[in-house]
Amino acid sequence: MSFIDDDEALIATALNGSSYAWEKLVKRYEGRIYNYGLRLTGNATDAMDLMQEVFLGVYRNLHRFRGDAKFSSWIFRIAHNKAIDMNRRRALIQGRTFSIEDDENGEYLVPEQTTDNEPDTQLSKGQQNEEIQCMLQKLPMEQRLIVELKIYQSQTFEEISKMQEISENTAKTRFYAALKKLKVVMEESHVLS
Amino acid sequence: MSCPRTQHLLTEYFSDDLSKVTQTEIEKHLLTCDDCTAELESIQNTQSRLRQWQDDRVPHWDRGKTLFRQEHPGNEQQRRNWFWQWLPSAASFAMLCMLIFNTSISRSESGFTVSFGTADDAFDKNHLELRLAQFGELQQLEQNQMLQDFLARMDERQDGNNLRLMQAVFDQTKQTTAESFDQMYSYFEQRRQLDLENVQVSYQQLVDSDFETLMSMQQLANYVRYPGDAR
Repeated sequence: MSFIDDDEALIATALNGSSYAWEKLVKRYEGRIYNYGLRLTGNATDAMDLMQEVFLGVYRNLHRFRGDAKFSSWIFRIAHNKAIDMNRRRALIQGRTFSIEDDENGEYLVPEQTTDNEPDTQLSKGQQNEEIQCMLQKLPMEQRLIVELKIYQSQTFEEISKMQEISENTAKTRFYAALKKLKVVMEESHVLS
Repeated sequence: MSCPRTQHLLTEYFSDDLSKVTQTEIEKHLLTCDDCTAELESIQNTQSRLRQWQDDRVPHWDRGKTLFRQEHPGNEQQRRNWFWQWLPSAASFAMLCMLIFNTSISRSESGFTVSFGTADDAFDKNHLELRLAQFGELQQLEQNQMLQDFLARMDERQDGNNLRLMQAVFDQTKQTTAESFDQMYSYFEQRRQLDLENVQVSYQQLVDSDFETLMSMQQLANYVRYPGDAR
């Protein structure tokens, strides 16, 4: 069955009940979705939760995929929606969102870190990624999504505006605002260090 | 940041479809505005910093296989059961077919050949003829090659023989010529001796003859001188 390679063939085979095709499809995209989750949520646990939710959503809606768009676009649209839902749920249930708000002292909270009893995730993270995650957590969710889509998914402002249902100008403004804020965060972290 | 145009210009600067005119205008402004230039530089640094992200490895998870199997109960199992259920029957059927059709598998240089019973006599015959023709061609080629080699060796040997023969003839001729000269010399010497002897004998005979003649003449003279005396 190793000859099955393109997404459409894997989807068709998975829909016929092949767990092998499903696993191959998941393996192909899990890295991108997991890292997407890491950047948006700022920690490995939430990233794993998000990834599992995304693939659950993909699985539940696989029969609806018509092949009009690329499967990668489709799966990232699901990921995008799941990330927003997850963020909203966290805000409602725990009063905690992925974004880090100012605390009473006007300082940024440190993003949730993985604990020492999670060695596999702790070891897999590089210092560089951690710093970027921390920086991104200091953005509101909508700005973080724009940065994610523009910088890491290389989408155009037109695509971003369609996905987020905003105008292109708003997308551009949010992106610039996000970069400005990140610049300040970087400058502050350099001053502190 | 004190330039009022910074936000607008840099927002446009990061557009996907920045027109040439706008780009030129922004760049022109950047040449004259230190605030905007510094802002752009720091924003670009921020972007570069973000792009340094390196993907983390995904921790182990079951990739939804459990859910998948729950959602497709028996699908995989059914296939697996179906396979194992029919495998012995299929194997038996295959064996039976092989026996009925007198299947034989032979290996040749070109690979494996599966033949059934005697129905493939024609095939075998053709195959044999083909092989024989190939063998014949091969033999002929080898023979031609051997003949060529033999002829080449013969030519080489013949040349050597001729050379040796010529050398021998030449040596022999040289020897014979010398011997012939010796023989001729001795022959001529012998003949010369004989001729000298003959000349000597002849001369002696001539001398004797002359002497006899002289004596005869003398007797004749005596006779002539004294016939009257005698009468």
